[in-house]
Amino acid sequence: MLSVRDVTTAYQGLVAISNVSIDVEQGEIVCVAGANGAGKSTLLKSIAGAERPRAGSVTFDGNRIDGMAQHLITAKGIAYVPENRRLFPRLAVRDNLRLGSYLYRGEANREEPLDFVFKLFPRLSERMDQRAETLSGGEQQMLAIGRALMTRPRLLMLDEPSQGIMPKLVDEIFQAVKRIRDAGMTVLIVEQRMAECLEIADRAYILQTGRVLMQGTASEISGNKDVRKAYLGL
Amino acid sequence: MGLLYGLIAVGLALIFGLMDVVNFAHGEFLMIAMYATFFLFAFFALDPLLSAPLVAAALFIFGAVVYLLIVRFAVRAKANTGMVQIFSTFGLAVLMRGVAQYFFTPDYRSIPHSWLGGKTISIAGIYLPQPQLIGALIAIAAFAGLYFFIHRTDFGRALEATREDAGAVALVGIDKNKVFALGWGLGAALVGLAGAVMAIFFYVFPDVGASFATIAYVTVALGGFGSVFGAFAGGIVVGLVEAITTLILPPSLKTVGIYGVYLLVVFVRPRGLFGSI
Repeated sequence: MLSVRDVTTAYQGLVAISNVSIDVEQGEIVCVAGANGAGKSTLLKSIAGAERPRAGSVTFDGNRIDGMAQHLITAKGIAYVPENRRLFPRLAVRDNLRLGSYLYRGEANREEPLDFVFKLFPRLSERMDQRAETLSGGEQQMLAIGRALMTRPRLLMLDEPSQGIMPKLVDEIFQAVKRIRDAGMTVLIVEQRMAECLEIADRAYILQTGRVLMQGTASEISGNKDVRKAYLGL
Repeated sequence: MGLLYGLIAVGLALIFGLMDVVNFAHGEFLMIAMYATFFLFAFFALDPLLSAPLVAAALFIFGAVVYLLIVRFAVRAKANTGMVQIFSTFGLAVLMRGVAQYFFTPDYRSIPHSWLGGKTISIAGIYLPQPQLIGALIAIAAFAGLYFFIHRTDFGRALEATREDAGAVALVGIDKNKVFALGWGLGAALVGLAGAVMAIFFYVFPDVGASFATIAYVTVALGGFGSVFGAFAGGIVVGLVEAITTLILPPSLKTVGIYGVYLLVVFVRPRGLFGSI
């Protein structure tokens, strides 16, 4: 479904990822793990169109998408939840979600994914008239995912969904990711918390200083001796 | 008059709030709207009230084109962005004034007779000039329309979202350049509407925009930067202050009151009367 080939992305001459290749198949949960600064966020940005890769290609459903404008990539069915969530802080929760269905504004059933969002995150339905900025960190993450789901994506990309959230909610969010996959979507998730991420993932990649260090099924990776030592603290 | 000031200022505040760019050519937008109204009258005998929607529509297109051809590139400047923005719209203002002087000559023109021009209406013994009264009603209607547009439509919501975080709207599939062009179009359409009405009772000449633009900047600053509602309310305040000043001071000093009140407000509330952050 998604194929990233030899992508190199740099910021003002500083190479953040180099020659990274990953694949995501329909219906998978793929986890990209790695330490801070390994290039995980840059990888997602390069796919979403928020950064333009310097070399390499990104293909989605057989079509090249690297170099396309970001809003057009969203329209192709890739929803991206960035690290800092980028909600519209002074707009109500309701308006944030409604904006998610902007691409379908002419359609009568534009609100259809809303039921699913409420099923995943019931507490959002109680906060509909609140401004997004008044939500807790966990609720903001839920709203960011909810807004992304409203775009009816086929591929959902999450950047560190566990960041800045209390532990209880982290679990809730990871469970939600599983249910999103069970509903037929594909999920690419970037995480520093590798143990939790591997638990729900089918396959995983480990990035280190901008390169793919290791790849395999989630159980292969979590069973690897070096990984257990270096990343899982076992 | 205050409501018309408000209408001009709302256009300015809309653009500023949306992308933090001050349109220094706002007065010149007003000027071309007034000329457009004048020429529609002179060549087609179209009354300003009839041409107002046409002029507003034309200015909408003009505003959007100015964004797409000039401002879009100015905000992309890698170094010294603020200066580039200021000089690009300021340069546009100088250019528009120059072109107007060349083609339209510096002569003062006016629309000698129109449906409303020179007529007054008496309400409970108070005589009000009809053009200003109708202008006020048009301003209120336009503001109500804008309010409805922003709060009840998808485009309006997209406008609000872009104002909040222009870098994030692509996440929901919105093209921020389209929204910016729409914002410039709307801002220009509002000042176009004001220009059409003002052409009824004001002389039309290449520099006409300057004095009104200065008042518009004061109005926006007074009402609170970026707040569309504040700009409209600020316009009413400015209009009232101006009216009161003319009662007390000689007419040549009529703007003294406006700037006096403005200074007072920014000393006490630097963010303006309705400014938030």
